[in-house]
Amino acid sequence: MPNDDIQDFAAMSAALTGFQLEFLKPALDTTNLSQAYFDYATKATQNEQATVQTLLTAYRAISTQPPQQIADTLLETAGQFPSPQALLAESITKLWYTGSWYPPGSVVMSEVVSSLAYTNGLAWQVMQSHPMGYSPFSFGYWANEPGPLSQFGVDTGSSTGAK
Amino acid sequence: MSANQPQYDFVIIGAGVSGNLIAWQLGLAGKKVLILEAGPAVPDNRGQYMENFYTSLAKTPESPYPPLPGNGSTRPLFPLPDPGEEAAPRFTVLQIGKGPDQSYMIQESVPAKAPDGNGLRGLPFSSTFERIGGGTAWHWLGTSLRLVPHDLTMQTTYGVAQDWPVPYDELELLYGKAEAAIGVAASVAEQAPLQQAIGLRYPPGYEYPMPPIPMSIVDETVSKGIAGLTVSVDAPQDPTAYPVFVSPTPAGRNSIPNYQERRQCAGNTNCIPICPIQAKWDPTVTLNQALDTGNVTVQYQTVAVNVAVDANGNVTGIDYLQWSRDAQTGVLSSTPGSVSANGFALCAHAIENVKLLLMSNGRQGVANSSDQVGRNLMDHVLYLSWAMAEQPVWGYRGPLATSGIESLRDGAFRKFRSAFRLEIGNEGWNFPKGDPYTTLNDFISGTNDSALNPDGQRLGGLALATKLNELYTHQFRIAALLDQMPQPDNRVTLHPYYIDGLGLPRPHVEYGLDDYTLDGFLAAKEVCTAIYEKMGAKEYTEYPNAAAGDFFYKGVKYHLYGAGHIMGTHRMGIDPKTSVVNGAQRSHDCANLWITGSGSFPTVGTANPTLTIVALAFKTAQDILSTLT
Repeated sequence: MPNDDIQDFAAMSAALTGFQLEFLKPALDTTNLSQAYFDYATKATQNEQATVQTLLTAYRAISTQPPQQIADTLLETAGQFPSPQALLAESITKLWYTGSWYPPGSVVMSEVVSSLAYTNGLAWQVMQSHPMGYSPFSFGYWANEPGPLSQFGVDTGSSTGAK
Repeated sequence: MSANQPQYDFVIIGAGVSGNLIAWQLGLAGKKVLILEAGPAVPDNRGQYMENFYTSLAKTPESPYPPLPGNGSTRPLFPLPDPGEEAAPRFTVLQIGKGPDQSYMIQESVPAKAPDGNGLRGLPFSSTFERIGGGTAWHWLGTSLRLVPHDLTMQTTYGVAQDWPVPYDELELLYGKAEAAIGVAASVAEQAPLQQAIGLRYPPGYEYPMPPIPMSIVDETVSKGIAGLTVSVDAPQDPTAYPVFVSPTPAGRNSIPNYQERRQCAGNTNCIPICPIQAKWDPTVTLNQALDTGNVTVQYQTVAVNVAVDANGNVTGIDYLQWSRDAQTGVLSSTPGSVSANGFALCAHAIENVKLLLMSNGRQGVANSSDQVGRNLMDHVLYLSWAMAEQPVWGYRGPLATSGIESLRDGAFRKFRSAFRLEIGNEGWNFPKGDPYTTLNDFISGTNDSALNPDGQRLGGLALATKLNELYTHQFRIAALLDQMPQPDNRVTLHPYYIDGLGLPRPHVEYGLDDYTLDGFLAAKEVCTAIYEKMGAKEYTEYPNAAAGDFFYKGVKYHLYGAGHIMGTHRMGIDPKTSVVNGAQRSHDCANLWITGSGSFPTVGTANPTLTIVALAFKTAQDILSTLT
């Protein structure tokens, strides 16, 4: 079922990135990036050994585990030589962080998916800021400390917003 | 119109900083002005430029502006578009170190010791420019510092280089006009400590047009961290202990809403390449003021190719090629034309002004009896350093830079090495390392291009997010902008056979740095390291290998970065034998020709050039008006 695919892709992405699922795929999803990224990654890897579907199958087998464990398993963070499937998991993590596609195993981006993807990159959130060239804040904000990381969508495991 | 009647009172080449300012002033005085602009028109809004930026694979200063490389599709960045097929190609950051098939400017960049033993030759000139309506200052930072008095009297005060033919008392008044025209946010009281340190002064009762931009947390952290620091890096030659302290930077950026109908700065951290909301002044603001006079016309996609001069040395007209590119076939075509006027100003920046002068008169050149046209090419060559602060500083927030260290811009050391200002960046390691991308890739792929991942960690999930948060929020950088000395061999000429898409010669550049300037690098390195040590910050400055611009000096490896400040190629002076224009930027050879912009600077001084370009343009406009009846 395609809808299950998108939901599972978003949930897997939340685990890989360390962000809250509702931040990546809110109930009122005006950006629909999970669909866009699912489509992009599916097309980009359709002829590869590891595809989005094989990665999702691996995810579903461990989806009840804690998020950090899911991320470590899929990315094979303990190993030195990640499998093609782990390299695809890396690419999907980078996709969410930058809005750009890095072919599996590459540290050079091949395409910025869209301007919407750029401005929604998680790298800007994780630094408690905003995309360079897209500030939602007002004059003088830079003189004050930013809000806690949880306010920027990171799943710190605390709903109270403590730093 | 009779056959002898000129078509316009005045013709300006280039719709950038000084061209638009002069057009505005002449238009206000009722003069009929035509601006010829080589590049495409100013767009109705900046939406397409923003889209170009957001989707660009490399977010260089030029990334929003046409012609584009590799944007918005899987088209790779390289090879870059062939400048031989472009109508108005320009030099971009991505072209540095590339050959003539990809680089508009032709330069050999293999560093070697200078034959006379003074410094290095064969360095790549690394500052770039635009050829579009609005010009290069689409992507200026907004830094609006004044030169200090000794910047104008380097020969008299320190026995090096040249004095300016403009007295500081006059420039000071012009700065007031320029600050109003740009809309500069600053406070005289905040700048007051610089009076004793470097002689910065203001007329009694003067105040900036807008209140200052607040300092960032990065600025405050550096300021507190170096409290009480003095440096004497030139002992024993200059044993003075110079105070090092942070000053807020005057900025051409709105601190209040509606100055010139612009928006208040929202801290987009993107002054370069492009402010998304035009909170920062740029030359299109002044162009609109010029057009509003009803006396100014702009003709885009029109490249001036000849300055026509009569037997008396008066300029009679400009010959040009107006170009277009067929939207379907992509084929470039052009139509020749000419325009006459009573006076003319070349405002096409320091490289294109030179090209046009040298191309003119059957390539015999115009306004060049001094043989100085194209010589003394200069930049604020840039020493870049970077570090991790002890505490979070939350870079990547606010305007790209809000403060600097200006206290070291003047002193007795200027007799033997270049002075510099230090710019504190609010952009983490974006400039030195291309972050956030590099560090992100390192901690996902296990690489170490950032030097922050020596153990080759591969992380995911919350462990990745918290690691990145810790690193990004501690990053900051300091850049030294050095006062480069003029050297006649640093030279722009016409390349004998490389041409652009209109068949016009492309600029050939020979470039190097003398010991005076290179010793400034040494001092800048020592001062930056002293700052990091005093703050308790961990320095990471180390240049990657085998990049164009690497050089060794006195056993230390450096990398040459451009500040984007192209200067000196048609220097002003009193003596027609050694300078191209006078203090009003009027040609010594041609009484009705002005050549404007930072190309007129005889020395580069210690302030970013745009404010001074605007100040001089006011003086030039007055001089032009005095000749038009």
